[in-house]
Amino acid sequence: MITTPVKLWRRQKKVAALIGQTGVLWQWTIIRIPPKVFVQEAPYPVAIIKLDNGKKLIGQLVDWQDEDLVKGRKVIAVLRKLFPEDAESIIAYTIKFKPL
Amino acid sequence: MKINVLGVATTEFGELWKRSPRDLAREAMEKALRDADKSAKQIDAIFVGNMLADILGNQANIGSFFGEELGINVPAFHLEGACASGGLALNAGINSILAGQYKTVMVLGVEKMTDCQQDEIVSGLMAAGSDEERLAGATFPGIYALMAKEYLEKYAISEELLAAVSVKNHYHGSFNPNAQFKRLITVEDVMKSAKIADPLKLLDCSPVSDGAAAVVISSEEKNIEIVASEVATDTLALADRSSFTSLDAVVRAAQKAYKKAGITPKEIDVAEIHDCFSIAEVMAVEDLGFAKRGQGARDIAEGKMTLFKGKVITNPSGGLKACGHPVGATGIKQIVEIVEQLRGTAGKRQVANAKVGLTHNVGGSGTVAVIHILKNNL
Repeated sequence: MITTPVKLWRRQKKVAALIGQTGVLWQWTIIRIPPKVFVQEAPYPVAIIKLDNGKKLIGQLVDWQDEDLVKGRKVIAVLRKLFPEDAESIIAYTIKFKPL
Repeated sequence: MKINVLGVATTEFGELWKRSPRDLAREAMEKALRDADKSAKQIDAIFVGNMLADILGNQANIGSFFGEELGINVPAFHLEGACASGGLALNAGINSILAGQYKTVMVLGVEKMTDCQQDEIVSGLMAAGSDEERLAGATFPGIYALMAKEYLEKYAISEELLAAVSVKNHYHGSFNPNAQFKRLITVEDVMKSAKIADPLKLLDCSPVSDGAAAVVISSEEKNIEIVASEVATDTLALADRSSFTSLDAVVRAAQKAYKKAGITPKEIDVAEIHDCFSIAEVMAVEDLGFAKRGQGARDIAEGKMTLFKGKVITNPSGGLKACGHPVGATGIKQIVEIVEQLRGTAGKRQVANAKVGLTHNVGGSGTVAVIHILKNNL
C-alpha cells in the first residue's frame, strides 16, 4: 500500500488527471473478505470502469445503491480518502467512482 | 541435451503450525535426494521458488537461507513470480543445466502462510497485483470474481456448473494422503458456503496453506524427461487486458510448450492445473486446448476430466483447491504429482497408462504463466 509522502506526491499528478472523467460500469464484484486497510469498509463493490476514452480502470464504487449495480451504469471519477490517517499522519486520497 | 527428473518429494500440505519454513524445506529436499539416490554433495546449485517470506516473514536472502538446510554452500537463487514462483524456479534450474553451467540441481518450492492473520495474508498476496488494484481494495478472489462474472455471463453458465470444479478436485484430494482436504463435497456445499467475492464462494477458492516440494533434475539419463519448460507474461492489471475470459499468457506459454514437445493437447494424459479459483481451472482447460471455448465447466461437470472416467485427467492431486496452495510450493508440487503419475506410483489416484503429463502454474491474475510438459521415455 502507498505509505511514503514522496510516493503519494508522485501519484497525485496521475490522480488529478482522472477527476471528473466519466464512463460506464463494465463489470463488478462485491469484496467481502478485504485486505487489512479496508477491513472497516467491507463489504464494498470493486468495479471495472470503461472511461469515455475507451480505457478500462479498476476502482471502488461510492455512494451506490443496489440498483446502480448494472452494466452500462454511468459513473464519474471523484476524489475520495483512501484511508483516514496512518501512523505517519498521512491521509491518502484516490479515485473512486460515483454513479451519475 | 535432455533434462531428466531424478527425484521428487512433497511434505504434507495444510495448516502446519508446528512446522517452520526451514523444517518443511529440509524434509522436501532430503526426501527428494533419497528418491534421486543422490547425496547433497552431488547438487551443483539450488533454485528456490517462494513469494511471501520477505513480505510475511521478514526474511529475504532466501536462496542461501534454504540452501543452509542441505548443509552445502553452492550457488543458490530465489525466483519470485507470485503463485508461479515454483514454476519459474524450475524453468531457471532447467535453463542453467541447458546452458552447461550445472549438471544436477535442486529446485525447491516452499511457503509458510498460516502463521499470519487472514487480512495480512490477503494484503500480502496483493503484492502480486497492480498499484491500482491495491488502491481499489481489490483482492485476488475479487479479481478472479470479475473474470468469473464475465465468463458466466458470456457463456450462460450457472454458478452450480462452476461448482463442479471444486467437487471434482475434492474427490481427487480424497485419494491423496498429503492433501490439505480429503473430504468429499457436493455442489450444494459449494453453493451454501460463505460468499468471498461475488460470485465466488469459499469453496470456489483454494485455501491458505503451508508446505514444501522439491525436485532433483539433471542432464543424467533417467526415464522421466521434462520435454518443455516455457514461460509467458502479461500485464499486472486485469483491467489492461482485452479478454477477461482467457489468460493470454497461458495460451502463449502453452503454444510454445506444445511446439517444443512436438505434441498436441490431445496427447496429454494427465495435467496439474492452477485452480486457485474454480473459474481458473475452467479457463485453463480451454486455454490449454482440453476443452472448446465456453465448454470447460460443462466438460468438467460431465466427468470428462475426472479420475477413472475422463480422457485427460486434471488435478489428480486434488489441485490447489483440495491438496492446498502454499503459493511458492505449488508449481513444484504439480511436477511431483505428474512425475508420480508417469512413474505409475500415484497409488489410489493413479491415472491408467499415463505417459505424457503437463503442469500449468499461474502467477497473479495471469501475469505470469509457466507450462511444463513431461514424458515417460520407458
